[in-house]
Amino acid sequence: MLQFVLSGVAIGSIYGLIGMALAISFYVTRIINFAQGQLMMVTVMVTAELASSGYPVWLAALAGLACSCIVGILSYVIAVRPILLSNRFSFGWLVSTLGFAVIVENAAAYIWGPTSQAFPPILNGISLPIGGAVLTAQQLLAIVTAAVLAAGFEIVRRYTLFGKLGMATAADPEMASAIGANTAIVAIVAFAVSAVYAGIAGLLIGPSTFANPYLGDTFGTYGFIAMMIGGGTERPIAAMFGGLLLGVCAEGANALINSQASDWFPFIVLVLILIVSPKGLFSTSNPLFRPRRAAVTRG
Amino acid sequence: MSEQPTLEINALSAGYGRFDVVRDVALSVGKGEAVALLGPNGAGKTTVLRAIMGLVKQRRGLIRIGGTDVSALPTHRIARGLAAIAPEGRRLFLDQSVEDNLLLGALHLRHDKARTQTLLASVYDLFPVLKAYRQRLSSFLSGGEQQMVAIGRMLMSDPEIMLLDEPSVALSPVAVDIVVRAMLELRKRGASLLLVEQRTDVATRVCDRLYVMTHGEIVDEMKPETIRSGGMSILNKYLG
Repeated sequence: MLQFVLSGVAIGSIYGLIGMALAISFYVTRIINFAQGQLMMVTVMVTAELASSGYPVWLAALAGLACSCIVGILSYVIAVRPILLSNRFSFGWLVSTLGFAVIVENAAAYIWGPTSQAFPPILNGISLPIGGAVLTAQQLLAIVTAAVLAAGFEIVRRYTLFGKLGMATAADPEMASAIGANTAIVAIVAFAVSAVYAGIAGLLIGPSTFANPYLGDTFGTYGFIAMMIGGGTERPIAAMFGGLLLGVCAEGANALINSQASDWFPFIVLVLILIVSPKGLFSTSNPLFRPRRAAVTRG
Repeated sequence: MSEQPTLEINALSAGYGRFDVVRDVALSVGKGEAVALLGPNGAGKTTVLRAIMGLVKQRRGLIRIGGTDVSALPTHRIARGLAAIAPEGRRLFLDQSVEDNLLLGALHLRHDKARTQTLLASVYDLFPVLKAYRQRLSSFLSGGEQQMVAIGRMLMSDPEIMLLDEPSVALSPVAVDIVVRAMLELRKRGASLLLVEQRTDVATRVCDRLYVMTHGEIVDEMKPETIRSGGMSILNKYLG
């Protein structure tokens, strides 16, 4: 019992980080970046590549994060901004971000080949007994990092001028520009931060999954579920709670049903939660596609 | 014209989609002057204000604020000290506190702490009730108090020209009076105002000149005295 809760929390903090990454870019732009999982994969692949060519792991990890940051900004500039400029209310970004994901994924498969490669172990060797259960230091690192990043995001959002500006842009982008905010820059920063969150999730899971170009699919999906059951579309930190719940559900299903149950059980949980609380469990207000305030057109 | 006007608009056409809501509008607001745009619903008054802020996609013609041509500037550049708006419906950032709303108004002055504090003090001086409520979420305020925050947020950017879009709408008579007195106080402090109104009484109390707009065009310009001494009937003809 304790074992699957603990390892569920560990894997859940990674789902939560990806969910938060999705939620951060959604929060500011009302766009779901379906290439989020691929941003995570970019970090994993670049880190693995550099580490295997002999660079120190920390340097490889930093370079990996920088790369996914760049790809994240590109995803906004290429796949999102042109569509919002032509029509802010269109859903063209559904296709364009998915297309961007496919391109990035196939580019990675082309460069590194479709098979898994070694990923540098960070703390995998050490394990810590907690009660009757065992947690690897790697898992503990995931939990602590996720907690720090989630708390850090909330602190920045609530207590810094930039965070407040992000909230203002999220609530009413037109009014935000009318007080002097360059909303394009705010959106680019949001995409960059979300790429870093996804990338850090990749660094934390890399030692267990190894580096594979198709990693983004699975984790992107789990991140999306984490955001939806948590209600991260409303408050990014709720995606973290959703991720933890998802992780515990998945590990619990593996432990209590059978070893394949984590492939389908979380989806049942998702459906049940969305039936009971369409807004997500930890959100106070509205569902996914809350309409933006329409432009005032009367004179 | 000895002195350059604070706001000068010439041959402005602006609209949404394929048609122009306002056509060939010319108006000016001098330094320290208060000017009203009167007119019925749908006349294009709000569109003029939105065009000044750069919030309308299509706009042609000249808009000059304090000698700067803003007709090609993006909204966020115009908002940095040239023009500021207290928009229709107030559009506060409702999930943030009163003080945060005000400080966001001074976004472009964020590195000038002293000036921001002075401006904040002047807003609290104008609306003492906001000082008491400064930590409160702005969604918890009454309509009149929210209008005060919207006007305060506009003041915080210390703009050349202040644009007010129907600040009296949907307010109690007491609140309307507070808003009117605030505008008069702003005039005393030397602010230049462009006020969009449907209420003639509010406009005549505050402004030096009034433009009348119908169907996207400015059709008349008058003085408050004209209206008080019987011009009301002319005005009623326009306002329907």
